[in-house]
Parts: sequence; structure tokens; C-alpha cells
Amino acid sequence: MTFSVLLQSLVSGVLVGGVYALIGIGLTIIFGVMRVINFGHGDIMMVGMYMTYFLFTLAGVDPFVSILATMPLMFLFGAILQKIFINRILGSLPQNQILLTIGLGLIMSNSAMLAFTSDYKILTTSYSSSSFNLAGISISQPLLISFLITCFITAALYWFLMMTDTGQAIRATAQDREAAQLMGINVKWMSILSFGIGAAMAGTAGALISPTYYIFPQVGSAFTLKAFVITVLGGMGSIVGATIGGVIIGVVESVAAVAISSDWKDVVVFTIFLLVLLIKPSGLMGKSHM
Amino acid sequence: MKSFNNRLASIRGAGTVKIVGVIAVAAILFAFPRFVESPYALHMMILFFLSTLMGSSWNIIGGYTGQYSVGHAAYFGTGAYTTMILLTFKDIPPWYGVWAGVAAAVVVALVIGTICFRLRGPYFVLASIAVAEIIRVTALNLTDLTKGAEGILLTDIPPFMIGDTILTDFSSKVPYYYISLVLALLMILVTWLVQNSKLGYYFQAIREDQDAAHSLGINLTIWKNAALVISAVFTSLAGSFYAIFVKFIDPTTVLPLDLSVQIVLISIIGGIGTIFGPVVGALVLVPLSEMLRSNIIAQGLINSGLVSAESATGIFLKEHLAHAHVLIYGILVVIVILFMPEGVLGFFRTIVARKRKGAA
Amino acid sequence: MLRKIVLAAAITVLSLPGASYAAKVKIGFINTITGAEAPIGENLTNGVTMAIEDLRKKGIEVDLVKEDDTGKPEKSLAAFEKLATRDNVAGVVGPYTSACSSAVASQADKYKVPLLVPAAAKEEITRKGYKYVFRLNAPADVYSSVLMDAILTLDKPKTIAYIYESTDFGSSTVKTAKEYAKKLGIKEVADEKYQKGAPDFRSTLTKIKSKNPDIVFMVSYVVDAITLMRQSKEIGLSPKAYLGGGAGFTTAQFLAQKEISNLVMASTQWTDDVNWPGAPDFAKRYTAKFKKEPTYHAACAYEAMMIMAETASKNAGDRDKTRNGLKAGKWNGIMGEVSFADYDGFTNQNKHQMLVQQVQNGRYETVFPKKFATKPPVYPFKWK
Repeated sequence: MTFSVLLQSLVSGVLVGGVYALIGIGLTIIFGVMRVINFGHGDIMMVGMYMTYFLFTLAGVDPFVSILATMPLMFLFGAILQKIFINRILGSLPQNQILLTIGLGLIMSNSAMLAFTSDYKILTTSYSSSSFNLAGISISQPLLISFLITCFITAALYWFLMMTDTGQAIRATAQDREAAQLMGINVKWMSILSFGIGAAMAGTAGALISPTYYIFPQVGSAFTLKAFVITVLGGMGSIVGATIGGVIIGVVESVAAVAISSDWKDVVVFTIFLLVLLIKPSGLMGKSHM
Repeated sequence: MKSFNNRLASIRGAGTVKIVGVIAVAAILFAFPRFVESPYALHMMILFFLSTLMGSSWNIIGGYTGQYSVGHAAYFGTGAYTTMILLTFKDIPPWYGVWAGVAAAVVVALVIGTICFRLRGPYFVLASIAVAEIIRVTALNLTDLTKGAEGILLTDIPPFMIGDTILTDFSSKVPYYYISLVLALLMILVTWLVQNSKLGYYFQAIREDQDAAHSLGINLTIWKNAALVISAVFTSLAGSFYAIFVKFIDPTTVLPLDLSVQIVLISIIGGIGTIFGPVVGALVLVPLSEMLRSNIIAQGLINSGLVSAESATGIFLKEHLAHAHVLIYGILVVIVILFMPEGVLGFFRTIVARKRKGAA
Repeated sequence: MLRKIVLAAAITVLSLPGASYAAKVKIGFINTITGAEAPIGENLTNGVTMAIEDLRKKGIEVDLVKEDDTGKPEKSLAAFEKLATRDNVAGVVGPYTSACSSAVASQADKYKVPLLVPAAAKEEITRKGYKYVFRLNAPADVYSSVLMDAILTLDKPKTIAYIYESTDFGSSTVKTAKEYAKKLGIKEVADEKYQKGAPDFRSTLTKIKSKNPDIVFMVSYVVDAITLMRQSKEIGLSPKAYLGGGAGFTTAQFLAQKEISNLVMASTQWTDDVNWPGAPDFAKRYTAKFKKEPTYHAACAYEAMMIMAETASKNAGDRDKTRNGLKAGKWNGIMGEVSFADYDGFTNQNKHQMLVQQVQNGRYETVFPKKFATKPPVYPFKWK
């Protein structure tokens, strides 16, 4: 393996990791506040992908611009899911929570199949396969743009959680639900907010990956698994952790593919995941709250 | 001693009806193939027994011990692969291979247990998924051993013989029917034994409160692993049975995350931590998914003349309902969780209890 | 007594469906309608729908019993058993996936129900000597050999790199490609397997680029083909030829990616411009009806249903006669000449001529073999 091959895989790993991070952030917020593992997270992302696709094909909206619409719509979608379904089972047994999100995921992916058929949809923009060269390393334009957008969104979200009253209320809910309630925080409302934010992040990730990937009803499941890994790696509930976790997974996948082989890269990823769980179960960013 | 007496009393008392009931149902099931020869009906029964077996196995670790493994495909696949590899490459008949599969699954379970049982709650769930995925990818890549993605296809199963007498040559569904029935009944018996023994007491103590159980002197590592091993043994048997029954396995059919989720669903839908919960779960899910899959409802409506096949409704039912069956399945899962949080069995128990209260 | 009642009930149930349509021929169709394999399964459904319409025009009414196997072998078995014993179909077309077909094939012989596999590629399906199992499409080994043959008419390449999905289709196609390349003395410089649906191949492709192969051989069953080619262009991997085994490189969606699809060669069971009887017309009608272009799966399923229904109707739905009819028959339709022969260890396998097509100026042109070619191949490859 030459140095340039390694460098190339590092760079593409970081860029892809950016999108992974966004999926992970969505999941980590939901988990942090609700303690619910959302098995339907990838399916929520899928909904965002279809939204982007139709905005592009029907209204000609550029995928990167379309997040201005997808983000609020997905927020609403997530909030409604939380209000109608998840809020009802917050106190109930963990296995029921898992099952509910699995059921919701099935409903989402199969409704998409009925509505849009199971065809693969491909979103082709003028820049879908453009890249530029930087010191012998090729950098994908759409990936770079989505990476920058991810950075911006992450920073904005971090600011929101740290600096605003609502953000602090969400964090308090994540830290201790009962105490937050005693302090007069509307915990149910915070849960709706957080699931909305989580869904908006997943939807945005879907939008960002659309120009370079493809869309079909079952696309979510692979990303759900990836989101789990990222979230645990970074520490459940930690936004900074999920960001770092996403980038790490992107890089590990990319480098393992060239250093070991592409068929074993998933084993490498899961082994790292297990090691982190065993050595530092609270994840790289320590404490299990935001 | 007192609790033991109580337990005995409970078995003798309300339990007698149940035991008689179970024996009667078992007798009917044993006689079933004498009256029904339709291979399709037998096939459905076999799938029902297999689902019962899988759901009940998971119930031991998930239901009684409260460790929600979402990686049971690992044991299912280990059993299936061990039996198939020994049979196709070493000509070892499945009735020996199955036990090698069980042994392999026990080893896998102990390894997984050692790694994952240090973790709790959601962390355990995710770790169990990760280990199962590692095993799946490994099976996919060790092509010399497993034939990788190509899978292993079986043509013939050697006849099962004692001495020179051929007991069965596996050419019909009947031997499969009886094997799966016996396995399912055995699993129910094991669950009953677990529930009515010290083992069950330890398991449930761990489920209710791990720290309290620990402070009572219950060794968490040992008993969690014990529960997992019991669970893995029977899941592995289910996997071996599946391999011999379907005669084809590959990593995407016997080792996927989907399968792990399916196993959990059976138990939770029926009601976890009870002997008959997974049975009820299988009784609901197997016929339901078959009816939805084969679109029997739409066909029945059309055949009965209620809906004309050429009418818009008929075409809609025939063409689109078939596509919607996983959707309906998903909706049912959500309904069960929201309105029957203790599973179908728990739901009916509550109703019965309420009625009794009302009558009294 | 009980036995009688059960029997009577069973007879009533069994005789209900289809009783009123004595003149119709009843055919079963097992396909993957839901689940992960559904996107391709849909093409088969469409092909069969067209076949039913065309059969009606020919005066053959088909009572079609559609079964979804969700891509799972045990469900496929259930579907087949239902068709064989409850619906009493004359024959079955399907299943779509190799895994399901493998599981169902042995049952076809058991129930003596003719089974015509339209598109599953696994070689073993017709290598087990089953009397009632027929296959229309060419098995996995031909996907690679036809491509190699095409390249040999153009050049003597020295090195080859493989990148393929870690599925049955991917690994069996590449396995035969490797054997063939070895015989020809072409050196293997890379062997990279990937998990279907991976979003990022850049590092793997960079590694391949550093080996500078003459030929890059890719197998992708789905739209990964587009991701692979997009990223190949991105990192500037330019071999003398890109060879694509299978569906992912033969779709209208791939074609629509003009920047990256140009000059890629792919093996396929069928093309819409091949001079087989009715092929272009089928493509036209299909596109008009379903608002998208047919894939070779659609064509395979269409032709399989035509053959099965015609044979079954000629033999009044008798299973054994239908089986013999399939074995003895010869057809010439949108899939070219079809007959089910025994050769090289295969039983009842249609020795289907696979084609190589190349994207030229935004169109798929059939470039190999010569007698079916619409344009000569363009070599070597160059990015647009």
C-alpha cells in the first residue's frame, strides 16, 4: 500500500464519515433524551431521501438546497411520530420500545414501497460524479459540500443545545427525566422536540447522501446498523461523540478496505465497536448525556 | 422449603387442568398427520413448531432472564452451518451433526456471554447485534469452509436407520413434522422445568433487579451464561432442523439481523416470561404472515363470489394487497405494542381476570 | 368417522378455487414481491403481466396464482407446496432468487410439477439432474465467459482486477471468470469483494488503480454499478476495458448516467435491440405500459410464462405431459431460440446465448456475438 493510496482512503473516509455522523447525531439525541433505541432510524432517513428525490425531480430543487425544506418537514414528521406513538411507551419495557420502532420502520419502508414501487431511484445532478484534484488526491465535490453542511449543522445544533433555554431543558431531560420534570420542564414536549430534531438530522443525512447514492424503500436498514455503531462509539447521547464516531467509522471502513480487504472491513468495524463497549462502555466522549 | 411447597401446590392445583390440556393438545398434534395428508398443511404446522421452538428458546434468555439478545441468528446459523458442513463435506449424518451443532453453539454462546454480559440494557442489545453480524460476515468470507455467499445446497439426506431397519428416508413431510413437534414440546417442557426450579428463580431475580440479585449472592455471570447456553442449544437445534428441512442455507437466510428480530418478535408478541407466550406468538404470526403472503383473504373473497375478480376492488385486492402484507404486519406489531403491552397472551389473561373480578 | 369429515372438508376446500374456470390453464408464479430483493422482482412481475395479456390474445386464458416468497427459501417452499397441492397448478414459473430456486427445485421432482426457472443464475439448480426443473436463462458461468470471449476478439489483455458484490451471484460469476482468465494467462492483480449497497468504494478503487490493470471486471446486481463507476471516474481509474457482469450494468438507469456509463461493456441475457423475434416490439410495449424500460429479468419472465402456459394449455394442464412438452419443445421468441437440453452436467438447461452490450453515445448497442451485433465494439475504454 503506497502512501497516496492511504492518504486517498483517509480523505474519502473523513468525508463519508461526515454524513455518517449526521445519522448518528440524530440517533444519539433520541437515545439521550428518551433512552429508546430507534430501530427505525434508517427508515426515517429513507423518508428524507424520497423527499429530496421528489423535490428534485418534480420541482427541480437542488438536493443541497432542498434541506431547507426537508429539515423542517422531517422535524414535523419525527415530532408527530413521537406524539402519537413513542410518547405512549416511554415508561414501558425496553423490549416493547425496540419492537415499536421496528414496527414503525416496517410501516415506513413498506408504505414507501406501495407508494413509489420498490424501484431504485437515482438522483443525478450535474455534479454527481465531479471531483477535483488536490496534490494527487481526488476529492468528490458533492461529498465535500455535504461534509461542510454537516459541520455547519452540527455546530448550530451544539450551540442550540448549549446556549438556548430550550436546549438546556432538553439536556436536563436527558440527564435526569424525573428531576427535570420536578423542575417544571415539560418532559413530553422535550421528547417531541428531540425526536423531531433526531428525525430532521436523519432526513438531512438522507438528503446529503442522495446525489451520490441511490434510493429504494429498504435502503434504511444498513444505515440503522451504522448509526448504532457510531452512537455507541461516541457515547450515547453525546453530539460531539457522534460526530467523532461518524468520522472514525468512515475512516476505519475506508482504511480497512485497503489495508486488510474490503470483505473484512465490517468485521473490523464491529470489533472496534465491541472493544469500545467493553473497555469504555460510556463511549469515547465519556458521560452518557449531552 | 415453603416456596417449594407452594410451587408444588400450584402445580397440583390450577396446574392440573393445564397439564391435562397440554397432554390432550399434544395427543391431537401427534395424531394430526394421520388425518391431514396435505403437505401444505403439514408445512405450515412445521413452520409453527419451528417458530415456537425459536421463540421459546429466546424466551429463556430474553423473557425469563431479561437479557434482550437481538443476535440469536448467530446460534441458529451456527447450528445450521455445522450440521450442513458435516453432512455435505464429511458425510456425517445429521442426527450426529446436530449435536456437533449444539456443541458449537454452546461455545459461541459462552464466548458471546463472556463479552456481552458485562454490558447492560441497550448496550447489551447492541453488542449482541454486533457479534451476530461479525459471525455473518465471517461465514460469508470463509468460503473454503462455508462456500460463502454461494450457500450450501443439499440433494439427499441419508435414510435414518437403526441397525438395518430404515426408520424414515425423509421423503415426506411426516418425519419433519414429528421431529419439529417433539423439539417444540421438549422446549416447552424445558421452559416449564426452568420456571419451576431454582434456575428460574435465579433467572427472574436477575431480570427484576441485577444488583439486588447480586447482593443476594446470585452469581450474575454464571446464571446469565447458563440461561444463554440453554437458549443457544435450542436455537441451534432449530437452525439444524431448518437446514435439513429446507436443504439450502446461505448467510443471508440463516444469519441475518432480520432473523434475530423475527425470533424476538415471536416471543414478545405472544408475551415474554411465560411458558405459553411464544406458543401464542407463533400461533398468531405464522398463520398471519402466511395468509398475508399468499393473499388468501383476497382470493377467498374473489372465489366466494363476494368480489368479482374483474372489478376494480378485485383487481386492487389481487394486485396490491400482496404487496402490502409486510405493511399490515408492521401495523399489527405497533397495535400489539400499544394496546397489548404484555403480549397477546397477557392481554387475554388480563381480560379473563377482569371478567372474573366482575363476576365475583 | 372423524377421518371422513376431515377428508370431506379438505375436498371442499381444495375444490373451491378455480372450479368455475375449467377451460383456463392454471399456472403458478413465485416471485419476490416484498423484501430486499423486491426491486428486481418487480421486473419479473411486469414481464409476467405482459405475458398473460399476450397469451389472451393468442386465445389462452391463464388463471395465474401469484405467490410472494419475500426472498426467503422456507416461504418459497410453502408457496410451492400450496401451488402444487392446493391450487393444483399445471406448472410453476419462478422463483426469482437463486436461494429460493435451490430450495424449491427438489420439491418439483417430488410433486412432479414442472418448474421453469426464469432468471436465477446459480449453476447447481439445473445440475442436480431434476426431471421437472427447467431453466430459461444462462447460468452464472456464462456471464463471465461471454465477456472474456468478447474481449479476446479485441486484444490480448495481461492483467485483470475484480471487484464484485459478496453475494452468490457475485462470487460465482467471478469464480468462473477467474478460472477462465487463468486458462488464458491473464494475471489477476486485485480481488475485492464488497457488501452490497456500500456507499463508498473510493479506497478500494484507489488500491486497484495503483495496480494499473488492463481490465476491470465488476459484478453488481443492483445500482451499486452506478456508485462504482461514479467513484472510478472520480479517482481516475482508467483501464482498457470496464466489464460488467449482470444486471447492474444493463439497466436504463445506468444508461442514463451518460458521464460514466459510456463504453462500459456488460453481459446480459437479453437486449431490446437484439434481432430475436418480437424483442424490440416487446420493449416498446413494455415501456409504454410500465413507463420504464424492460430489464432482461422482465424478458426472461415474459418468455418463461409464454412457454409454460402454451405448453400447459396444449397438454390440457396435465403435469406429466406438460413436462414432456417442455422437454421436447422448441421455441423462438423474444429470448431467441429456446430448447431444454442436457449437456456438461446440466439437465433441462436452455443453452441460452448471452450477449455483450456496450454503451455508445447514450445507447445500449449489442456488440457481441457478431451475428447479433448492432454495432462494432469500441476499444479501448476512455472517459467521456
